[in-house]
Amino acid sequence: MASVASISEESVLDRLMAAAMTISVADAAAILLLGDEGRLWAAARRGLPDDFSPAESLPDREALSGKPVWGTAGQPGLFLPDGFSHLLCIPLTLAARPLGVLRVYRRAGPPFSPADADRLLALTALGAAALQAARGLAEMERIEVAKSRFIHVATHELRSPITVAQSLVRNVVRGYAGPLTDQQKDLFARISARLDFLEHLVNDLLDLAASRAPELAEEEGPVAVNSSVGRAVLLLMPRAEEKEITLTVQPCCEELAVWATEEGLDRIFVNLVENGIKYTPSGGRVTVSMGRDGDQVWVRVADTGIGIPPEAMPHLFEEFYRAPNARAVNAVGTGLGLTIVKELVERYRGRIAVESEVGKGTTFTVTFPTIRAGSAGVDAGAAARPPT
Amino acid sequence: MPDKILIVEDDPDMVTALRMPLEANGYEVYVASSGQEGLQKVKEINPDLVILDVMMETTTAGFQVSLQLRSPDPRSEYAPYRHIPILILTAIHTTTSLRFGPDEAYLPVDDFVDKPIDPEVLLSKVRALIEKSRGQK
Repeated sequence: MASVASISEESVLDRLMAAAMTISVADAAAILLLGDEGRLWAAARRGLPDDFSPAESLPDREALSGKPVWGTAGQPGLFLPDGFSHLLCIPLTLAARPLGVLRVYRRAGPPFSPADADRLLALTALGAAALQAARGLAEMERIEVAKSRFIHVATHELRSPITVAQSLVRNVVRGYAGPLTDQQKDLFARISARLDFLEHLVNDLLDLAASRAPELAEEEGPVAVNSSVGRAVLLLMPRAEEKEITLTVQPCCEELAVWATEEGLDRIFVNLVENGIKYTPSGGRVTVSMGRDGDQVWVRVADTGIGIPPEAMPHLFEEFYRAPNARAVNAVGTGLGLTIVKELVERYRGRIAVESEVGKGTTFTVTFPTIRAGSAGVDAGAAARPPT
Repeated sequence: MPDKILIVEDDPDMVTALRMPLEANGYEVYVASSGQEGLQKVKEINPDLVILDVMMETTTAGFQVSLQLRSPDPRSEYAPYRHIPILILTAIHTTTSLRFGPDEAYLPVDDFVDKPIDPEVLLSKVRALIEKSRGQK
């Protein structure tokens, strides 16, 4: 789950102060939070004079014990900003654990009432829960990013020795290290196949890490769908020809663009077309078509392959999952290709649908919100960023 | 006189993988294990082709070498070697490699070979580049 923290701690505190000021008819508010050393620090403020810093004071410490505390100008140990006469400190507690204190201030008029305090206590109970949720989300995001970054670095480090080993093995297999016996040939072919698989796995993990950590990818912009599909098909045409599969594209007459990264959008179509070729027997067809439906652009990859059994459907996008018939026809496969496709599609605000019949074939349809592009290619400057 | 090929690559095993098919096909192979050493050896050997890894002591060391060798400045100390074809080693596994083509303005190289190295692909690219540069001279 990337970018889950749509609610930041800062915005929770700000909304909490705004609501508190409204319901208690206050002129200013501040929130002090408990730091690691048990000290209160001013985390947020609203309506207070710039030269006033709401540092920890006696009423705050009392409020931390769980009860509202009132303060009036002139009271010993209480510092109010100039022109303010009343203060009310409300504890911010979550399951009896103090998180901090909410302060509301009035310039003049009557002091805060016990009814004000009750309403604010109800509000801070909600606020404390929201604060905890925001902190939890931020923590989750940090962990997710750290995990992705680790995978990214680790896979780069893993790639290098694999490609070197593969390069050396290929030399042996081609006889550059002298003639081989049939048994040696067979063994080296197996080593080579295993290395190919490892390389695939590492590449897929790298893609998955990139799809989950937006900061690892290049910046998003308008990407022409026709060109992206074209690149994917160009890359895979040799493989289709090798397997005697008819790979055709029915491009769309319009130039349609999607808000994505070129590499990410290409990866979606490469994976889908690659799957089509992989799971379609020789002599079959893989057809890529595309078009527009209102403000949506769709791309369909249809094959005449082995199909997906109904019991495999719910697991299709799970990491490392491979349908039993897929394993049977093709020993090599990481089970990450469709996971990557789904993550990328969702990242670009799209949807993916699949229809399949065993023995007849499979059709994947991806749909994205389209953005208007210039007639010749895509003009990044002219296209407005869509709402996220 | 056999054609001279300079391999600029810091991984000795990758050097072996490149060297075997080249030597088996009669090329004279020289090796430099850093970008700096590579530039030095270009001047010493005046090779017929340079094979360049991108990521060495820094992630773009190879690009730095190719930029120096292809410097448009006529006073550059590498100006006499500007014509030497450059083959770059990449480890790009996506369609990016389709755009990562030989483009003077973008990256001054003549062609690229994907890692892992396929000896036959390597040899055909080496042959084609040397022939092409002969024709231009």
